Amino acid sequence: MNIIFVLIPLSLVLVALAGWAFFWSVNHSQFDDLDTPALIPLSDEISSSPADAESKAQ
Amino acid sequence: MPALTCFHCGEPLAGDAPLVARVGALDHPVCCIGCRAAAEWIDSLGLQDYYRLRDALPPRASAIGDYSAWDRSQLQRMYVHQRGDGDAEACFLLEGLRCSACSWLIERAMSRMPGVRETGVSVPGKRVRIVWQPQRVSLSALLGAIAQLGYVPHPLDRQSLSDVVEREQRAALKRLVVAGLGMMQAMMFAIVLYAGALEGIETSTRDFFRWIGLLVTIPVVFYSARPFFDGAWRELRAHRAGMDTPVAFAVALVFVASIVETLRGGAQVYFDSASMFVFLLLGGRYLEMRARHRATDVVDALARLQPAVAQRLGADGVLENVGVHELQIGDCVVVGDGAIVPADGELTSAQCRVDESLLSGESKALVRHCGEQLIAGSIVVDGPAQMRVVRIGADTTLSAIVRLVGRAQQQRPRWSRLGERAAGWFVSALLLATAATAGTWLVIDPSRAFAASLAVLVVACPCAFALAVPAALARSLTVLAQRGILGLTPNAIERLVRANYFVFDKTGTLSERSLELVATQALAQTPAEACLRIAVCLEAGNTHPIANALRAAALHPGTATAQNVRRIDGGGIEGEVDGERYRLGRPGFALASRTEDSDSIVLADRTGALARFEPRETLREDAAATIDELSAAGAGIEILSGDSPVRVAAIAARLGIGRFEARVSPERKLARLAELRAGGANVAVVGDGVNDAPALAGADLAVAVGGGAELAKSSADIVLAGDRLGALLEARRVARATLRIMRQNLAWSVVYNAASVPLAAVGWIPPWLAVIGMSLSSLAVIVNSLRIRAVAAPPAAPRKPAGASTLTAVPA
Repeated sequence: MNIIFVLIPLSLVLVALAGWAFFWSVNHSQFDDLDTPALIPLSDEISSSPADAESKAQ
Repeated sequence: MPALTCFHCGEPLAGDAPLVARVGALDHPVCCIGCRAAAEWIDSLGLQDYYRLRDALPPRASAIGDYSAWDRSQLQRMYVHQRGDGDAEACFLLEGLRCSACSWLIERAMSRMPGVRETGVSVPGKRVRIVWQPQRVSLSALLGAIAQLGYVPHPLDRQSLSDVVEREQRAALKRLVVAGLGMMQAMMFAIVLYAGALEGIETSTRDFFRWIGLLVTIPVVFYSARPFFDGAWRELRAHRAGMDTPVAFAVALVFVASIVETLRGGAQVYFDSASMFVFLLLGGRYLEMRARHRATDVVDALARLQPAVAQRLGADGVLENVGVHELQIGDCVVVGDGAIVPADGELTSAQCRVDESLLSGESKALVRHCGEQLIAGSIVVDGPAQMRVVRIGADTTLSAIVRLVGRAQQQRPRWSRLGERAAGWFVSALLLATAATAGTWLVIDPSRAFAASLAVLVVACPCAFALAVPAALARSLTVLAQRGILGLTPNAIERLVRANYFVFDKTGTLSERSLELVATQALAQTPAEACLRIAVCLEAGNTHPIANALRAAALHPGTATAQNVRRIDGGGIEGEVDGERYRLGRPGFALASRTEDSDSIVLADRTGALARFEPRETLREDAAATIDELSAAGAGIEILSGDSPVRVAAIAARLGIGRFEARVSPERKLARLAELRAGGANVAVVGDGVNDAPALAGADLAVAVGGGAELAKSSADIVLAGDRLGALLEARRVARATLRIMRQNLAWSVVYNAASVPLAAVGWIPPWLAVIGMSLSSLAVIVNSLRIRAVAAPPAAPRKPAGASTLTAVPA
C-alpha cells in the first residue's frame, strides 16, 4: 500500500507537467485558431513548405 | 443552363467572352483581371485545394494597390514590432476573411514567401499575425501578396499585438483549465476519503489524502479564483454587494474551513466542492466572455476603415506619401483613384464620385462637388481628387462612429441595471440568511451549523439571477450584430419589443435612390426599342438615376454616338444622333409645352414627341415582405415623406400602405409623431438617418437603415447596417426572443432560489449538492440564453410572393 506515497506525488508531477504544457501552448497561439488545423489533413500535398526547408537548411 | 459565375469569387459573369484562368490544367471563367491573377497565383503556388475546401466565397479580387508607403519608417514605428531577434512582427485585419479555407490559403501562401517566419490566422478575429525578416522582404511586399489573394489588409497598430481581447481570452482559458485539472484531482482524492468514511481508513492515510487534496486545490483557489476575489474586493471598497461577494465568500469559507478541519482532524473536508465551484463558475464566465468578444468584432470592422496613409501635396507642389497621423488641419491631400479618403475634408477639385458604402451601406457612388464634404473612410471612385483636411484623428465622423458603437456596448440597459441592483439586495439578504441559519443551528445542534450555513450560502448564490439579464442581452447583441444590426442605445431591445406603430420615411428607406423604367410608350412611327436606343445614346456617360434606368432597360444598346450633346439645366438634354436632332427630358422641355406633375420623360425630335418613358422608384428588395409581415403582426404602418404626393402615393400603393403623408416638413413629422404617441402608440420611426434626424429623435424607437455618414449625429437606437430593410423583422424576432428568454431566466432563478434556500437552511442539502445545484442553475441560464438565435429563427413556412402584398388588407 505504501506504493501510493510514490505514485500519488508522481501523478501530481505529471499533472503539473500537463499544466505547464498547456500554458506553453496557449502562450504560443495554439488555441487562437481552432478552425484551420482541421483542414490541413485534407490537403494532398506531401512536401513541406519552402520556408520550412530553408530554415532547416540553415 | 445556369448563369456562369466567376470561378474565384462567384459573382455572375458579364459579357459574352469572359476571361479565363488556368487552374489545375483546366480553363475556368473568371469575372475580372484581379480574380484571374488571384486564381492563377493560387494555382502557381499549388494551392488549388483551396477551391475544394472553402465554404464561403472570397471577395472579388481587386487590382493590387500600391503599398510602398508602408515602408516609411514613421509608419513602421506605429505598426511594426521589432523583435529582439531582428525579426519584425505585425498584425493585420483582413477584409474578406470568411472561412477556414481562407485562413488555410493565407497561411500557405505566406509561408511560401521568402523571409516569412511565422503566420498565424484567426478567422473569428479576422486577423493575421506575421513574423518576417525585414532584411529579406519588405512590409509592402507582404501587403501586396495578401492583396493579390483578394483580401484587403489593414495593418493594426502595435497595441493589437498584445491585444486586450486575446490576453483576456488566453487568461480565462488558462484559469478554466487549471480549475478543471485541480477539480479532477481533488475529486479523485475525495473519492478515497468518501470510500474511507464508509469502509474505514487509517487516520494517517486519511490525513495524507486531505493534505494532497489541499495541495491540488491551492492553485484553483489562488490562481483560478483570483478574478472572484479581486471582484469582491472592488465591490467591498465600493460598498455594494455584487455577484463576486458571495462567490468569493463561499470559496474562502469552504477553503479555510477545510484547512481547519484538516489541521485538527475534523469530520469532513470540502476541497472537491471548492474546486468544482470555481470550475463551473469560470466555465459560465468563459462562455459569456466569448459571446461578448464576438460582439466587439463590429467595432473592429469599423476600425478597419481607418486609412493609414495619405498623399500630401507639399507647398512646392510635390506629392509625398505620409502617414495619416502626420496630417494637419488645412493640409492639401490628393486621393487617388480607388483610394480611401484619409481624413474628413472639403473637396477642392471640381468634382468627384465617392463610395460611402462601407460607412453608410449606400451602394451607389455619390457625386461631390467642389466645397462639399468628404468623409474619412469613404472611397474615391474616379480620382484623383484633391481635398483640404478639415478634421483629423479622433474628430472625424468615422472615429465618432467607432466610439459610438463602442460606447453602446459598454452602456448597460435599464433591465440590466435593475437586475444588478436586485442582485445586490439579494446578496445582502443571503448573507443575513446565512448568519441566521448559523445562529439557529448553533443553538440547536452546533455540529451541523457549519454545513447548513455553508449550504445556504452556496445554494442561494444569486449567480443565476444576476446572469439572467446580462447573459440574454449579450447573446442577443451578438446575434443581432451577426446579421448587421447594431443596437446602439441600451434600451433598444426593450423598445423594439414594445413598438407597435411603424412610421417609414420613403426615399432611401422603402425605396432606393435609383429608378427603374416601367413603360416605354411609342408616340409616333418610331418603335419603342429604337427610341430607347436613341435616349441611351443621348445619355451616354451620364450617371444620374434616369440615365441609369434607361441604360438598364435597353437590351441592345446601339453603337451610335450622340454629337453636339448639350445639357440644359432644369430641363434635359439635347443632341444629334445619326444626323437627327433630339431632345430628351421633362415634357415641358422636350415639347416646349406646359409642365405636368409627373415623372415621365419624353423623347422628341423636331416634329414632336416620339416616345414617353415612365420611370419609377426602385423599391428596396425586401420592402414589400417587410411591410407585409409587420402588418400581419398587427402593427400600424404609415409613410411620412418630404417627397411629392404623386411619388409617395405610388410607393404606398405598391406596398399596400393605407396611410401616408407627402411633403411633410420636419415640424409636421414631429407633430404627427407626438399625435400618435398621445394616442397610446409606441412609435418606431424608420429612416435613413440623414434627412429625418429630428423625426428619429422624436420617436420611441429610432431605426436607421444603412446608417449613413450622419449616423454619429443621429439619435438612432438601432442601425440596420446591412442596408436591408428585412433586418428590421429579424431584429424584432431577436428582441422578442430575448425578452422571452430573459423572463424564463428570471423565473427559473427566482423559483430555484426560493425552493432551495429553505431546504438548505434546515440542513437537507449537503454542501456538495448545493454546489452542483448552484452551478447547474447558472449553466441553465446561460444555455437558455444561447437559444436566442434558434428561437429567433425566421418562420419556416414559405413566404407568400412579394407581388401579393398589394392585395392584402390595408391596416385600419
